Amino acid sequence: MSTLGLPIPYSRWRRTVQQYAGLVLNVFPPFIYLLLFFYAPMALLFVMSFWKSGYMELEPAFTLENYRAFLSNPTYRRIMWNTFVTVTGVMALLVVVGYPIAYFLARMVRRYDALLIYLLIIPVEINYLIRIYAWKIVLGRSGIINAALMYLGLIDEPLRFLLYSRTAVMIVLIHEWLPYVVIPVYVALKGVPQEIVEAARDLGAGRWDVFRYIYLPLSLPGLFASFILVYIPMLGEFAIPSIVGGPSGYMLGNVIESQFLAAGNWGLGSAIGFLLLFITLVLVAIVIKVTGLEELM
Amino acid sequence: MTIREGLQHGKENGLAVEHLVKRFGPLVAVDDVSFSVAPGEFFSLLGPSGSGKTTTLRIIGGLTVPDEGEVYLGGERITYWPPEKRDVNIVFQNYALFPHLTVFENVAFGPRRRGWPERKIREEVTRFLKMVHLEGYEGKYPRQLSGGEKQRVALIRALIMHPKVLLLDEPLGALDLKIRQELQLELIRIQEEVGITFIYVTHDQGEALTMADRIAVMNRGKILQIGDPKTIYEQPVNRFVAHFIGNTNFFEGQVVKVEGGMALVDVPGLAQIWGVPVGEVRAGLPASVSVRPEKMYISRHPPKGGSFNVLQGIVEDMIYTGVSTEFIVRLPTGQQVRVFAQNISKDAEIWKITWDEKVWVYWRPDRSLVFVE
Repeated sequence: MSTLGLPIPYSRWRRTVQQYAGLVLNVFPPFIYLLLFFYAPMALLFVMSFWKSGYMELEPAFTLENYRAFLSNPTYRRIMWNTFVTVTGVMALLVVVGYPIAYFLARMVRRYDALLIYLLIIPVEINYLIRIYAWKIVLGRSGIINAALMYLGLIDEPLRFLLYSRTAVMIVLIHEWLPYVVIPVYVALKGVPQEIVEAARDLGAGRWDVFRYIYLPLSLPGLFASFILVYIPMLGEFAIPSIVGGPSGYMLGNVIESQFLAAGNWGLGSAIGFLLLFITLVLVAIVIKVTGLEELM
Repeated sequence: MTIREGLQHGKENGLAVEHLVKRFGPLVAVDDVSFSVAPGEFFSLLGPSGSGKTTTLRIIGGLTVPDEGEVYLGGERITYWPPEKRDVNIVFQNYALFPHLTVFENVAFGPRRRGWPERKIREEVTRFLKMVHLEGYEGKYPRQLSGGEKQRVALIRALIMHPKVLLLDEPLGALDLKIRQELQLELIRIQEEVGITFIYVTHDQGEALTMADRIAVMNRGKILQIGDPKTIYEQPVNRFVAHFIGNTNFFEGQVVKVEGGMALVDVPGLAQIWGVPVGEVRAGLPASVSVRPEKMYISRHPPKGGSFNVLQGIVEDMIYTGVSTEFIVRLPTGQQVRVFAQNISKDAEIWKITWDEKVWVYWRPDRSLVFVE
């Protein structure tokens, strides 16, 4: 407001409108898209999880019956436990396998690291389902692995646990998600300035110390990014267990899927989905707290 | 002490490098560099960017392995020792602080790798933080510090290791003038306090002149001259050093004759100028005469008596800086010369000089140097 009590000059007013118009035009379309097609359905499902629900029926109410039904069912509890064990195990294996690859690409390959990263990504560009079915050929009774082992005389009859098992789910999950672990860690390691490494060496750090005190802590944000990228979607995975998992590879994602598509119980499906989301958020919060990542971000 | 004796001395007690060569592809970054530094000395490697000074420093620090030559420290040959084994520490140009560690942890990084007891580490870190006036900064992260504060942390992070030699790679290069001057004085004070040998790389000749006991001037991988600041300034060994250190006026011409320890140079269209010959000056060779602005007189009248080199010109500009006035005088050839006059008295004759006035510029022949090359 001007001191003379005059209205805001036209030019300034126009500038303000232009600024806001720019902002609105830039931010609104994606925001509205997200609102309509992501947050609104999410909110609807969240509300539904408290409705009275059964086979092909859904009645607005407020009840915790769906949550109770899930948590009191021992089969569901076992599947939930199995899901977390499988996914946590796969995550650990992914770090064990992926971190050295990322370190190798970022710090030990001089020239062709971009090419090698691309080789890592190529499989991702093949259709998801085709890749899973391809694994059936590799892991099956008369698949490549069994055939090779039998030919070499190492086994007399095909290994059964290779397909339709939790092992199969884990193998395929690792293959599926490896690039998403390698790339964020690779980027974090690649971003460590050479000078900092030299400063550490200069101050008496040997090669192991440099890894322990420089590379490892500075790559934690990358590791955390890959945790978010990988762990959470893996918890909801249903295609891989339903194709290669068999009964013992059954995961929570399959339960949710069947509630929506087969059992027609949307209320229960929503309740399980939100329970999963809640547990995941708690896990993320714990990871942030324990690793002290706020300090790095 | 001869150079050979000096090297021997440096080899046994301080630091010495001998015939260092480092090539990067076709580029010879360091080309047969030798010098020695006495314990406790403040030694500066001075040169333009790309002159090989930083590579030389990195070789001493163990971050770069030389293709040829040796590095000696305290009587030991350390040429191929890894950096973590050397009793030498570096203050990096861009500080290279550990971004994920606090100020305390940054400074304690070296001592922890050496396995000092935690109590001693706490005491020493506190003592060094106090030395650079950073008490209370223990818990801050590098990103919360100003440039000057980061530089102080980088300095004590290296100093706390009590190295035999501290290598500083343009440590003040990224700071603004005022903080730079402040830290220059602080560095000199700290160096005297801790008594550690400093090797200070800079491209700022003023900084080298102010701070160093001795300076090595480098260009294109070679050391051109080693000496104390006064020698480097007053007796440069070639045109490059004269040009690089301080301000100077050059007159290009041809040597007419050399007699009585002086050389006469004919500057076409201007005059014949006497100067002290430097190196192999012979009649007929092309030559540059160098004379520094503060060695010249400026007057509205020609000099009376005495033997002077005398030039005439027109005052093109006058820059008053308080302690002195800089005159820019245009000569008949179009060349400009700079002349400094000290502001001794406000009534001096010199103050009557104004723009576009015809003036005489003159100096004693032994104040100018003649270079051939």
